[in-house]
Amino acid sequence: MKRSIVPKPATALLALLLVTLSGSGLAAAGKAAKGARTSKHAGQGITCAQCHGKSAKKDVVPMQQCLSCHGDTKDLAVRTAKVKPTNPHENRHFGTEADCNRCHHEHATSENLCLPCHQRFGFKVP
Amino acid sequence: MSQDHFQEDQETDQYTKQVIENGLSRRSFLSRAAGGAAAAGLFGLSSLPVAAAGTSEPKGLDFAKSSDGGATLSFLPKPKPIRDREIAETLTFDVVVVGAGASGVPAALSAAENGAKVAVIQKAPFALSQGNTGSGVDLATSEKAGIEALVARLIADSNHRCNPKLIRQWAYNSGEAVRWVIDRARQGGSPVVDQGSPVQRAILKVNGYSMGYVTSFFGPKPYTTGDGMRHLAKTAEKAGVRFFYRMPAVQLVQNKAGEVLGVIAKGPNGKFTKFLAKKGVILATGDYQNNKAMSDYFVPDVKHLERKQLDKTGDGFAMAYWAGGVFEPIGHTKMLHDFDAGPASMCDMPFLAVDRKGRRFVNETVEMSLLNNYLRDAENAGHYSQIFDSNYMTQAAAWPGKLVPPEGLKNYMPDDPSPKKGVFESQVNTHVADTIEELAVKIEADPATLAATVRRYNEVVASGKDSDFGKPADRLIPVVKAPFYGIHRRVRVSAICSGMLVNENHQALNADGKPIKGLFLIGNLGGGFYGGVDYPLTVFGLSLGRCYTFGYLTGRHVAKL
Ligand SMILES: Cc1cc2nc3c(=O)[nH]c(=O)nc-3n(C[C@H](O)[C@H](O)[C@H](O)COP(=O)(O)OP(=O)(O)OC[C@H]3O[C@@H](n4cnc5c(N)ncnc54)[C@H](O)[C@@H]3O)c2cc1C
Repeated sequence: MKRSIVPKPATALLALLLVTLSGSGLAAAGKAAKGARTSKHAGQGITCAQCHGKSAKKDVVPMQQCLSCHGDTKDLAVRTAKVKPTNPHENRHFGTEADCNRCHHEHATSENLCLPCHQRFGFKVP
Repeated sequence: MSQDHFQEDQETDQYTKQVIENGLSRRSFLSRAAGGAAAAGLFGLSSLPVAAAGTSEPKGLDFAKSSDGGATLSFLPKPKPIRDREIAETLTFDVVVVGAGASGVPAALSAAENGAKVAVIQKAPFALSQGNTGSGVDLATSEKAGIEALVARLIADSNHRCNPKLIRQWAYNSGEAVRWVIDRARQGGSPVVDQGSPVQRAILKVNGYSMGYVTSFFGPKPYTTGDGMRHLAKTAEKAGVRFFYRMPAVQLVQNKAGEVLGVIAKGPNGKFTKFLAKKGVILATGDYQNNKAMSDYFVPDVKHLERKQLDKTGDGFAMAYWAGGVFEPIGHTKMLHDFDAGPASMCDMPFLAVDRKGRRFVNETVEMSLLNNYLRDAENAGHYSQIFDSNYMTQAAAWPGKLVPPEGLKNYMPDDPSPKKGVFESQVNTHVADTIEELAVKIEADPATLAATVRRYNEVVASGKDSDFGKPADRLIPVVKAPFYGIHRRVRVSAICSGMLVNENHQALNADGKPIKGLFLIGNLGGGFYGGVDYPLTVFGLSLGRCYTFGYLTGRHVAKL
């Protein structure tokens, strides 16, 4: 909820509304609204459909979708080659092919996947 | 050397009977509920329709049931069959290996060398494994009585709960297999060496009989068996094995009779590929340590302990289960180590040890590999520290293990600027400080608690008798002379080493003890090799040695079918 595009009081009101009204169609609409609120891309003029497609069933977005705008992970690894203490985008576990979403979350707070094991890899994950 | 006196009679052995009776399978609870033999008759033996539609369970069953039928197991959801129209491509091989790790890559190469057309489908973007040392018995330099004595030792290490036939199979075939892995990995460019017998110091004689070993070492760190398997995969590619990376297997293909015909994998583009296997599918997907619900169920002891691996979600377990396979009963064997925070050669030396807060908690002659049992709670979560003072080089000189001098300890100190060699830089965690309180801060313990512990420990040492924990007097040395050292270790789950029921061909058995045609399980997914509370460190590198050996044997066996 960090970079919510809806101001806080409005969020609360919306949540309340969603709890009160509980039709299945509304639930889907509610989900979409929630998605828009929590999306980090939403404020940048990017629509839900650009990632999720147009079908009503919202499947997990494959990583290829990220790459279609952000470019190849190998190029990304070059750009972050000098990050200390190590390049997060080229590592022993996934090479340059780690799934973006393992760290960078679209609808939730991002996380540092390295940290539990490598306690000094204190990357800030946007 | 023959093992003819152990040629098995046709009757089901004790171990297998036990697993069938108490293990977890699709039908165990049903046959039990319906009453043994009658139920077995009801569901038929070879003609059981265990295909994905699964007619043996009551209708509407969406999850597995516990072996008494009482609990629903959310971690084993019934797979939704992937239909043919969802398959983008179908490829046919003789042998399909799932998982490119310590058992899978050897299995694939072994099958190819024996004439099979082989595919490996791998979840990760490349071959992936871990560890350095993998061992086997050198038959030429071992006495037969010694081999049998070692087998007996390993069975005892597993609290007599393993399948003795599999231990013997490792003992009599591992020398050849490990040597083969070394040779073939070298061909792929690996710097692997055979460290032979010297590194197995404690077991050069077993019950007085002489033993020799083949000890493969993929190292030093940061080079590991992961790199080793990537080098071995190069050799396998040259031998014609085709590797499909970023392709997790998701479902087995079975016919109505329950025979496994192939496996379906999901590519990075989200599309399914069906791999048909004319001779057999070998699952080598490793353990299930990253599947929280599955671990909590089978090894609740490690609920609060951290993991060393990633993405080991027990995919192979779920696939084999739904194909009719049997999980070993609850109480699986675990492996928890920390060889990295400080020198490995000092990890079992009985220095003062304190828990995460700074309290003494054990008679320190207990080995590092067992300390997880004292540190299972959420607060400790596997953390403890070894504490000693600057007299350690002289005062602990007679202890078993190998002391590393202060200069060498710097290699393990994250706060020391010296360049690190032969270690994982992000895992070293050794500290030095002029006062106990400062040391406490560095090892993340409570300073007042640690100071009190050290005070009390020094009293015990001065008295010459460990009236708190009963440690032998010659293992008591005081912590008085600055600077003080602390090795902050954190035992985490390296592996879970229990698996699913197999016979000596590593073919999966169903709840009737009958082999499932076309399905083979190796590595930590294969059952019967352990059984104790903790993985034993008697043979250094037993785990990897067993993975290589059973990969080597199974690849050959399936290729020749
Ligand atoms: C840090 C560490 C150090 C260790 N050191 C030692 C040591 O020195 N000596 C020793 O004997 N043992 C050691 N071990 C234990 C040893 O590494 C394991 O027991 C061994 O690797 C298990 O081999 P495996 O073939 O069962 O699984 P792995 O070697 O883990 O291979 C499993 C493979 O399957 C793949 N996979 C998983 N799911 C799927 C799927 N659905 N589809 C396709 N592929 C899949 C994985 O990506 C992986 O490559 C260590 C373990 C750790 C974590």
